[in-house]
Amino acid sequence: MGDTTPFDEMHNADGSVREPYRALAQWLDEQPDKALTLMQSDAEAIFRKLGITFAVYGSDEGTEKVIPFDVIPRIIAAQEWRRLSKGIEQRVKALNAFLYDIYHRQEILKAGRIPEKLILQNSAFCPEMMGLEPAKGVYAHIIGVDIVRVGPDEYYVLEDNLRTPSGVSYMLEDREAMMQLAPDLFQRCKVAPVENYPENLRRTLDSVAPAGAGSSPNIAVLTPGIYNSAYFEHSFLADQMGAQLCEGPDLFVDGGKVYMRTTTGPERVDVIYRRIDDDYLDPLTFRPDSMLGVPGLFDAYRAGNVTLVNAPGTGIADDKAVYTYVPEIIEFYLGEKALLNNVPTYNCTDSDKRAWVFDNIQDLVVKEVHGSGGYGMLIGPTSSKAQREEFKKKIEARPDNYIVQPTLALSTCPTFVNAGIAPRHVDLRPYVLIGDEVRITPGGLTRVALKKGSLVVNSSQGGGTKDTWVLED
Amino acid sequence: MRMLGRTAQNLFWLSRYVERAENMARLLEVGYRMSLTSRREGGASEHLMSMMQAAEVDEEFNKKHKTADVDTVAHFMMFDPDNASSVYSCLMAARTNARSVRTAITTDMWESLNGAWLEFSQIKPRDVRGAKLLGLLQWVKQLSHQFRGALLGTILRDDGFAFSQAGNFVERADNTARILDMKYYVLLPRAKMIGGDLDIQQWTLILRAASAHRSYRHVYHDRYKAHNIADFLILRPEMPRSLIFCARAIELTLDSLSELYGKRQDCHEAASQMRAMVEGTTMETIFAHGLHEFLTEFIARNNRVTECLSESYNFY
Amino acid sequence: MRIAIRHQLSFTPPPGTQHAVMQLLLTPQTGPSQTIESWSVEAPGIGNAGRFNDAFGNMAHLVNQTRPDGPLTVTVKGVVATVDRHGVLGRPGGEPVPAIYKRVTPLTKVPAGLYSKFRNSKESRLDILHGLMARVSEALGAAEDESQTQMQADGKQSQGQGAVKAAAPAADYAHGFIGAARALGIPARYVTGYLAGDAESPAAFHAWAEAFDDGLGWIGFDPMLLLCPTDRHVRLAAGLDALGTQPLRAVPAGDGTRDMGVTIELAP
Repeated sequence: MGDTTPFDEMHNADGSVREPYRALAQWLDEQPDKALTLMQSDAEAIFRKLGITFAVYGSDEGTEKVIPFDVIPRIIAAQEWRRLSKGIEQRVKALNAFLYDIYHRQEILKAGRIPEKLILQNSAFCPEMMGLEPAKGVYAHIIGVDIVRVGPDEYYVLEDNLRTPSGVSYMLEDREAMMQLAPDLFQRCKVAPVENYPENLRRTLDSVAPAGAGSSPNIAVLTPGIYNSAYFEHSFLADQMGAQLCEGPDLFVDGGKVYMRTTTGPERVDVIYRRIDDDYLDPLTFRPDSMLGVPGLFDAYRAGNVTLVNAPGTGIADDKAVYTYVPEIIEFYLGEKALLNNVPTYNCTDSDKRAWVFDNIQDLVVKEVHGSGGYGMLIGPTSSKAQREEFKKKIEARPDNYIVQPTLALSTCPTFVNAGIAPRHVDLRPYVLIGDEVRITPGGLTRVALKKGSLVVNSSQGGGTKDTWVLED
Repeated sequence: MRMLGRTAQNLFWLSRYVERAENMARLLEVGYRMSLTSRREGGASEHLMSMMQAAEVDEEFNKKHKTADVDTVAHFMMFDPDNASSVYSCLMAARTNARSVRTAITTDMWESLNGAWLEFSQIKPRDVRGAKLLGLLQWVKQLSHQFRGALLGTILRDDGFAFSQAGNFVERADNTARILDMKYYVLLPRAKMIGGDLDIQQWTLILRAASAHRSYRHVYHDRYKAHNIADFLILRPEMPRSLIFCARAIELTLDSLSELYGKRQDCHEAASQMRAMVEGTTMETIFAHGLHEFLTEFIARNNRVTECLSESYNFY
Repeated sequence: MRIAIRHQLSFTPPPGTQHAVMQLLLTPQTGPSQTIESWSVEAPGIGNAGRFNDAFGNMAHLVNQTRPDGPLTVTVKGVVATVDRHGVLGRPGGEPVPAIYKRVTPLTKVPAGLYSKFRNSKESRLDILHGLMARVSEALGAAEDESQTQMQADGKQSQGQGAVKAAAPAADYAHGFIGAARALGIPARYVTGYLAGDAESPAAFHAWAEAFDDGLGWIGFDPMLLLCPTDRHVRLAAGLDALGTQPLRAVPAGDGTRDMGVTIELAP
């Protein structure tokens, strides 16, 4: 951590190739000049064809954005993945147990393990969820855990995304593209499949249908509509799962049950995979001005007639202030030590701490408590003096709105850039499904900061993606 | 899986807008050609205006422009977002509808439409003049053909297909009826059986606007005659833009829906009524009844089909 | 005391509404202070309504109407037998943990002046709460227009259009008390209900507060009347604040809910 050199996932310190990357290294050696350049342009054509091009960012004028794709896969050894996925499983189980407790007896607060105020006064806490019994006791069915690697066996969880994590379609399309681009490389490595994600998602959703829904429940994906930046993903997943892609006005509540309007009349809906934020879900219970939601939906949910995935109020478990307590949460509910590290996180509310933060700000990362997407964030080592001064002012004005973390030396992976193959920083978002069982897709979405030295992997700020290979034994 | 009412609506309008883009391009082409050959002072402007009346966009045009010259009209018909029927507006609406039902249409349909939109949005309006304009109009017609081809070649013959087809033929019927109504007075029987130059010009406009100027010869082996032209565009079942062809296609399409869903609804009655207007009748009967009155009623019945369809299948 | 209640509310969806949805919190439940002898909810579509328990232990109805034509009216009526428990309700089952009633909502943010003198108080919680009720009554009473607390009373008390007006100051008092209690770390909740009138106050749709004491459990406080709820209070619903306990909530809201009035009679 801090100022150590970043961990290179492909090479050992002496320059030799690490075991999981051997086949890739050999394959790269064999590629003729320009082969990667060709692959890169083929990749672009493939993404256009697959339809990824219509991920539009808030515009209806046809400004199409393609998230850059890097043709060199990231490789994780089977054994490395086993450890990592055990840690992830532990984490998501504990977080669901935490949610159940918070929305029932609140034992963890009574035990004083988490300050009561942090939960009860938190805007992400949803009192309307109190006492509700979700199917299978699961609140967060779909979780994307953001992880960075800093050493051969050292991982840190940056964030647990329990609301409506996105990006899984990129994971699937990256794999699809990679199989078309380098089938020969797949032949040399035994790569664990990711293609069954939609099927597993469907199974997960089926398994949490309300009692009485029958063996083949009706599933709807609820999207804010075509102008949402993740609309592509919503339609992609609906299509792949054989679910109906609905907008708010397609659904209505009658007699406490949810129906969709079809050409042949109302059809009952059992499970809604909603990609609309809590606030907009139901104007009757939440924001009255929401045009995206379905009036009465939450009441139908409370009446046990429909399952919402993820449940409203799961955001309390991925709140940046609650994040600090996740190791505590794991210990409280599972009686185990956390397998994955949390990044040490400080608040700036007391003045001594603040002074220390200001003195060391060039080595720290400052994050807005409710920020996301890499915005509202300062990365000390790559920031300008002006930016640092600006953040000091912001922290001074609202100290409770910021948390501070040490800068992590994100691992690097070989990446094909203009100058050839060069190391670039990466993170990893594995996708976890929780229903009748916990299903973790091997690998996940690797995001790569394409700018040299950059630690920001967000696609909105110059990040790209890579196919992520978990090798099988 | 049952179809959302909104999906049916999107498919219906998607096809309507693609068909409309094609019709607009065709109308503009006719207006443009005629304005080129007009020898009279102000003649070009008149042709362009009457073309815009047929497209029902003349009011919007007059709000924005004082004179109707070729460049202004071409820009208005091709690129103006304020003109709800401009090629730009039609393609945009078609694509928006397509995105909403991305999973209900095939990849080929999506690609042909998305590709066309991306290409169209690259065009700089000021570069489109003269020969370039005709080339572009040709391209618009082709993209409509391409989309239709993708649809016919790849879409499942289920309810989605029916809603698409219904949209296509409702729009086309509307277009043909309006072109005829626009110029109905030059088609009325008169004592003088041979038309003058002016008549010939108007007749050509009508036929070209329906892509019927060549096929007319195949069917009638005769010079242009008002009676034949009206007959061709209203009662000839082999003419794919005639009212009878469209009315039959709409009825058949809706019948396939009632078969699929096992239920006849108001829209079926509306479609039968529209078809009955053009079935088993002659031009003489229609002229006796009044061509303009006939066309007005046909357009109203066609609108009623859309209304009933929306109602019967829960569009909203 | 046996109290017969009839309460009518209505709202008018905007013309052209395809689908109107109403949520009703208009069903009182039997508890330590009251027994529901009979109760009915009449509304268009009520036969098909969804019934469920909300997060705060209330019985709610979800009623919907396709293409409503004109105003939708809800009428509730029934007979409730009450006992005076000096506000003490204890710990009835089916309720969420009291701690969640420490959550401050936009409606329950209050000026520090309302509670600061109790901050370091050594008194018992019960005494603090009584002190708080007096403080809130004093602070809001001074600010209030005389006319709103004027009495109108006779044997058979009834009230028409004024019901909403009367509930508004009651809500202010309740919010003041709740906000102050929460600021002191005491769980406190908002309660809606009916008030049988007496010589001093008219019958009304009413609101008061309940605060939690570790020993006694939930205790009612009516800061507007400066007393603990008596057998004249009929408890309807509880929640975080007035927003969450509205008796009728609707989407689309149209021009809002109209209270058509409450009639309360003492039953024989």
